[in-house]
Amino acid sequence: MSFEETVRAHAADLYRYAYWLTRDRAQAEDVVQEALLRSWRAFPRLRDRAAAKAWLFTIVRNEFLRAAGGADPAAESLDGLEVADERPELFGLEVRDALHALPASYAEPLALQVLGGFSCAEIADMIGTTEGAAMTRLTRARQALKRLLAPRERKAGRS
Amino acid sequence: MNCLDYRRQLLAGAGETETMRMHRMQCGGCAAEYQEHNAFEQALRAGLEVPVPAGFAERMARAQVARRRRFLAAAASVAVAAGAGGFYFLARQDPVALACIDFVMKEEAKSIMLGPMPRAAAATAVASTLPLERIERVGQVRHIGPCPFNGATAYHVVLMVPQGKVTLLVMPGKRMPGARHATKEGMHAEVMPMGAGSVGIIGADLAVVESVAGALKA
Repeated sequence: MSFEETVRAHAADLYRYAYWLTRDRAQAEDVVQEALLRSWRAFPRLRDRAAAKAWLFTIVRNEFLRAAGGADPAAESLDGLEVADERPELFGLEVRDALHALPASYAEPLALQVLGGFSCAEIADMIGTTEGAAMTRLTRARQALKRLLAPRERKAGRS
Repeated sequence: MNCLDYRRQLLAGAGETETMRMHRMQCGGCAAEYQEHNAFEQALRAGLEVPVPAGFAERMARAQVARRRRFLAAAASVAVAAGAGGFYFLARQDPVALACIDFVMKEEAKSIMLGPMPRAAAATAVASTLPLERIERVGQVRHIGPCPFNGATAYHVVLMVPQGKVTLLVMPGKRMPGARHATKEGMHAEVMPMGAGSVGIIGADLAVVESVAGALKA
């Protein structure tokens, strides 16, 4: 697969991943553009083309860290997470609202797992932690999302 | 496997293993949990899939094609202008410049994560090589901090210029006899003598690296 084909295949998920890192559409686009600029000349030397997706996600992450000047998502915690107001909406959009309330350190592994399809071991490698810690973060992220969504579900159940 | 293990593994989202499936087939509570989990995962995917700008993938792919054409055209004109001997000279890879690129590729994120140093201390540390005020005239300093480099302490600067981002490595007390260059994995580095030391300029775009080098010298 050529670099252009690889870009076409993964650009949408790279953008979405960058969005959950930056929480800003324009910044997400900038991060992906810069990351692709860095990766295109190195691509011919990439020995395992099957690993291109993980490689591109890692470059997007590094580019985000560079652009953020050291704002590492791993530094955040779930402390002080507030349950959002009750608002009847479509469930997918409700989850998106809840994801916005989630610190980037928890939204990021979810994006890597759900959008990227990466295993816990791959995620751990990408975000620089252990497999166990990545699993814990993924579990806590889902628990927090369910907690955030609970009032809405209760309200939907009542009506 | 018990219900607690089943639900714990399900919540981590890694998918259902054969052992988990066997447990679910025999446990009504976990079967119900599994159904609820699947509905949640569908909603989670829908939530994560934020709308992508129209034509984004195609635009990104076309940009790569255009970039390759520009690169090939530039390489061809350099080869014609410089001749074979000149091209060999330009292509020679300097070890310090290569080390600068390796730093950006492997160490930069870690260095940034260690945090910046106070501005006054940074200004004093780089003053004899490249005054901080001169760096700030060229672009916005996003990070400055000490880092081990090439057997000594250098100062790592992430600089935002109008054309994008570049990295500077200010090396006090290590003055190179002349300018050095290297290109590796899509990154370019120029190391030049300045003041009592040397400065490495590293970036993804050769034109921007050269432009920043010129501006810092001016």
